[in-house]
Amino acid sequence: MSVSPGQPIVLVREVHKRFGDLDVVRDLSFEIAGGEVLGFLGPNGAGKTTMMRMILDIIRPDAGLIEVFGGTPGLAHQQRVGYLPEERGLYRDVSTLDTLAYFGALKGLSAAEARRRAVKLLTDVGLAEAMTKKASELSRGMHQKAQVVSTVLHEPDLLIIDEPFQGLDPVNAQLLREMVLGQRDRGAAVIMSTHDMNDAQTLCDRILLIDHGRRLLYGRVADVQRAFSSGAVEVEGDRLPTHVNGLRSVSDVVPADGVVRFLLREEAEAADLFRELAALDADVRRFQVATPTLNEIFIRAVAGDPRAELVG
Amino acid sequence: MSGSQARQARADRRRSFLRLAALVARRDYLRTVRRRGFIVGTAVLPLAIAGLLGLSVVFAPGFEEQAAAPPEMALVNESGLQLVIPAGYQVRQYEQAEAREQLRDGRLREYYIIPADYPSNRAVLRAVAASRGPGLEDVQRRSTQQQALAVVLRATLLERQEIPPDVATGLLEPFLIDDTTVDGEGAPAPSFNAGFMLPYAFTFLFVMSIFITSGYLLQSVTEEKENRVVEILLSSVPPLPLMTGKIVGLGAAGLTQVAIWVATALLALPLLGQRFPDLAAFEIRPLVIALAMVFFVLGYLTYGAIFAAIGALAPGAREAQQYSGFFGFFAVIPLIFAGVFLTDPASPIVVALAIIPLTAPAAMLQILALTFEPPWPLVVASLASLGVFAVLAAVAAARVFRATLLLYGARPSLRGVVGAITARG
Repeated sequence: MSVSPGQPIVLVREVHKRFGDLDVVRDLSFEIAGGEVLGFLGPNGAGKTTMMRMILDIIRPDAGLIEVFGGTPGLAHQQRVGYLPEERGLYRDVSTLDTLAYFGALKGLSAAEARRRAVKLLTDVGLAEAMTKKASELSRGMHQKAQVVSTVLHEPDLLIIDEPFQGLDPVNAQLLREMVLGQRDRGAAVIMSTHDMNDAQTLCDRILLIDHGRRLLYGRVADVQRAFSSGAVEVEGDRLPTHVNGLRSVSDVVPADGVVRFLLREEAEAADLFRELAALDADVRRFQVATPTLNEIFIRAVAGDPRAELVG
Repeated sequence: MSGSQARQARADRRRSFLRLAALVARRDYLRTVRRRGFIVGTAVLPLAIAGLLGLSVVFAPGFEEQAAAPPEMALVNESGLQLVIPAGYQVRQYEQAEAREQLRDGRLREYYIIPADYPSNRAVLRAVAASRGPGLEDVQRRSTQQQALAVVLRATLLERQEIPPDVATGLLEPFLIDDTTVDGEGAPAPSFNAGFMLPYAFTFLFVMSIFITSGYLLQSVTEEKENRVVEILLSSVPPLPLMTGKIVGLGAAGLTQVAIWVATALLALPLLGQRFPDLAAFEIRPLVIALAMVFFVLGYLTYGAIFAAIGALAPGAREAQQYSGFFGFFAVIPLIFAGVFLTDPASPIVVALAIIPLTAPAAMLQILALTFEPPWPLVVASLASLGVFAVLAAVAAARVFRATLLLYGARPSLRGVVGAITARG
């Protein structure tokens, strides 16, 4: 089944999943289109892996709708999906090449084609000499690279990767980041779970922050940052105030290294501060609305910052 | 979706299901038959038969003929009667002092003393070395010697009464049995040693094979779970085709093993029959083989499904072995009641064991091995019970498989397992 242009590859509407007495996923909705990387962010136990498994039809939701390639998840689409779980593994007593060829065959490739692609990709990631080794003989990094290769071997249209760069050295992490971006550029939709906010910021087009199974933030990275950016202004200059006295728009002032960081009150705008500084005859050389990092946004959103509702 | 599209989608799903199950089956089959344990296990029967043939050649004229010959017997005759020793009986007579000395030296293991007042006093004394304990071989030896002594003394008493030798022979050995078939051809006499033991050996091998094969299934599931490969597999293969592929692939490996055993037996029986006349009477009928295969397949499906579910449920390989051992006990119950199967095949115990699904495979394999004509009503009832149970077990196992396979290191609750089995879809 193909997807019409503009139609999301994955569509999730008000999905709910309960394990025993615990609501693991609560009324979650989101979607992702081809050529896009969606970052799944959230604390441990937030429900990210459960949501991924439901998209893969490994487990089924108690309520709500999940559509993959315009149909229900399952057998019909599994050949178009690549999955790298957080709990990774290869057959310990089988050669890496044989294992990858088997995984490729399960994804619909012929045995010869799966083997040919595995040889090429393993060589590309520097595992040419390790491909005949058993998994038990590989280092952790080699193991992980082989796993990523197995995930993209069949050139999936939907790639679901759970903590893909965890435990990798910077060189290999960069190699695999490029591999993920290559899949996106090829037109695949990528859902990536990560705790690394730098990865989320640099790789993801959109993010979905989940906490206790509920959606806290959802949107384009720039939109989310914008929503949270009104909280602080960084100013460089002379005769700048170093305390809040007389500043109605500010709740806190933090001077550091020649820069003064003004935290705005909830109802205040950056322009209000600018006017107040002008009235105080401050000599302003730089006035910049501070863009919070995703890490800061993550912490604020999980702590209950009301601005999360703007992009929730 | 229109009707034709829905039909097309169903056909595609069916094709995908079969393709994936076949891929899993092929891989698990090849992986299993290349295992050292499988090759050794499969070679056990052919090697045992070859060994038996080899030994029979080395120790010609054959174990059974040697075992049938009466042992040499030491005798002290104080009765004054002239003993008559029939042909073939090895009786050596001693003086009391000489026999006692040889017993003390260990040259004799025992000797018999016929008292001076025999036959008015019929108490024959048996002198043995004091230190010897009663072993099984001693019991057999004593039994054989006493039968021989009885023949010697009867022949002596008959001669004393001046009974003609031909009459005496008729009294001592009133009949000789010749076995024959309905076609009038000669047939060797069955003996407990071979005629009964061989069917049991086959039953045992079949039951063993069910468990060895189910054990491979258990191992395969727990291994994939422990290696964390299972989640990758489940993202490519839904639980039902995955479980189906495993059961079919490993079942085929088990069938390969059994087929090799049966073929070996069919080839070796004529050869063994030449060395061991008892075995020549034993034949494996095609109908019995076919039925045995059906029970093997259904038995394996039942235990395979249960073991697959156990593999999914158990937190690790050790726990999986413990749980499977509990179910394994059911399969060997019919072997514990082997005596009842031999003496009273119509007993309620036998019938019950043949109908209870978990005991049916081993029970019916024994019944088929022991009866010339299969008891059809019991065969049909057993097949129906086992077949229905196998289907239910497979469905329940697939549900447990889906619900619990990803619980790494965690033990699911009984409520959770029951919930998974009874869940819809």
